[in-house]
Amino acid sequence: MTSTALAVSAFAQSRQGLPAFRVIVHPSNPVATVDRKFLADAFLKKTTRWSNDQAIRPVDQRSDSAARNRFSEEVLRQPVDAVKNYWQQIIFTGRDVPPPELDSDDDVVKYVLKYPGALGYVSGGASLNGAKVVTLQ
Amino acid sequence: MRGVASYLRLVGWCALALQFPAGALELSLPGEPIQVHGFVSQGFIKSNANNYLAESTRGSFELTEVGLNFSKELTDRLRVGVQLFARRLGPLDGFNANFDWFYLDYRWADWLGIRAGRVKLPFGLYNEINDIDSARVPILLPQSIYPTSNRDFLLAQTGGEIYGRFSLGAAGALEYRAYGGTIFLRATTPPNSPYQIGTFNAPYVVGGRILWEPPLEGLRLGGSLQALRLDADFFFNPSLFGPLQAAGTLPPDFTGKVSVQIPATLWVASAEYSAGALLLAAEYSRWYVSLDSSQTLLFPNLATTVSERVYGMFSYRVNPWFHPGLYYSGYYPDVSNRSARANMQHDAAATIRFDINEYWLVKLEGHFMYGTAVLDVSLNHDRPLTDLQQTWGVLLVKTTAHF
Repeated sequence: MTSTALAVSAFAQSRQGLPAFRVIVHPSNPVATVDRKFLADAFLKKTTRWSNDQAIRPVDQRSDSAARNRFSEEVLRQPVDAVKNYWQQIIFTGRDVPPPELDSDDDVVKYVLKYPGALGYVSGGASLNGAKVVTLQ
Repeated sequence: MRGVASYLRLVGWCALALQFPAGALELSLPGEPIQVHGFVSQGFIKSNANNYLAESTRGSFELTEVGLNFSKELTDRLRVGVQLFARRLGPLDGFNANFDWFYLDYRWADWLGIRAGRVKLPFGLYNEINDIDSARVPILLPQSIYPTSNRDFLLAQTGGEIYGRFSLGAAGALEYRAYGGTIFLRATTPPNSPYQIGTFNAPYVVGGRILWEPPLEGLRLGGSLQALRLDADFFFNPSLFGPLQAAGTLPPDFTGKVSVQIPATLWVASAEYSAGALLLAAEYSRWYVSLDSSQTLLFPNLATTVSERVYGMFSYRVNPWFHPGLYYSGYYPDVSNRSARANMQHDAAATIRFDINEYWLVKLEGHFMYGTAVLDVSLNHDRPLTDLQQTWGVLLVKTTAHF
């Protein structure tokens, strides 16, 4: 998606009163709120377990996704390409691999519903199908 | 021929991997998929005087790197991985494909994990990515602290490592890594030498790194320490030491074998700040190296030599495809002797990185060099460093595809 298309998408969502993205977890996850730093560390795999010791399974969207771009700027506080550079360092030194990148909100919801420890984000107007929204502090 | 065969095998693996859709590849096996990533880099280096890293005065394409890695999560705490790597850098390596790293990694908790196998050494901020063109802006990392030509000694160790990350609450977080193991080395006897190199090994390499993430997001401060020892046996030509025995200078039972031990201790202090498109980094390091010989007449002891190394680096991602950077790197091989061109190396570098798309990049880099300490005499017709040109320049171009 071009930068113009991203801007149009974000504008359209804001006109409808929808957030740019919503953070979602499996419905069995007891967490109701997450702070931004925890969320950022989880997506960079610096933090790997929930407080109940269950493995966190972050899931990303494609790099041209409007939700991903807003999530990256607001939560990770870095543009998507800077985050990809971070993952290049991690991948090729063998320390870890990045979260999977899925094509759509629906795919992210399916992933989150499949894995109890999953942690993802979808666009503000996405259909959740039972996935639980957590509040970002 | 052996090197070419290894290179062709590695290229074959890469070609096979590239038949799949772009991005990380995933091979279907029960459980989590195997992830496959790789890269191919090709560069060109040209200097206006002094051969640097390769026959650069006439221009050289001997600046190639190829890597392919596989990793799989076996459980939510246990991973395994392996990377094959081959390179050609001037006269070094000759496309011999080797296991760059391989490990099993058990992460019991965020604050404690264990790795065993061949693991890249955490020394300074960027030692681990010295081979990974796509992971940084400069083509050459500051050579004062990350000398490409010393890769065999500095990039990875075979042994074990513990690692982890602690939250310090309001004080931020602390990441640590501690390792111990050995380095497998190859040594070839230089032509026309009065000796043959017998054994050459590192009985130990130990060290660690601590990185503090203070409350100011994007700031990292840290320190690394490493101690190792290289042991070698040299066998001198009887024609060399025979007359010395006859003169009584060497004992009559001397067989020509001289054993040396080279202990080294290295430390580096690191600081990095990244905020949005901006990256600032600076590191300062000292290396302490000495030599102990079993026969000082043929191979003299060397008192501890302390080298000093420093750099400051800046880069700014103007937009997703244009990313310029600058750095200054300073190197003194002996802090007790900083005068004369052979005893210093100042390097001012400027790089432009163009990301054509998320899988392909091109870099252009220029260096203004003052001093000759970083040069290899064997690449410069064995002329002493004091005779080489003091002020010189280098231009590099490099392209990398990665997935």
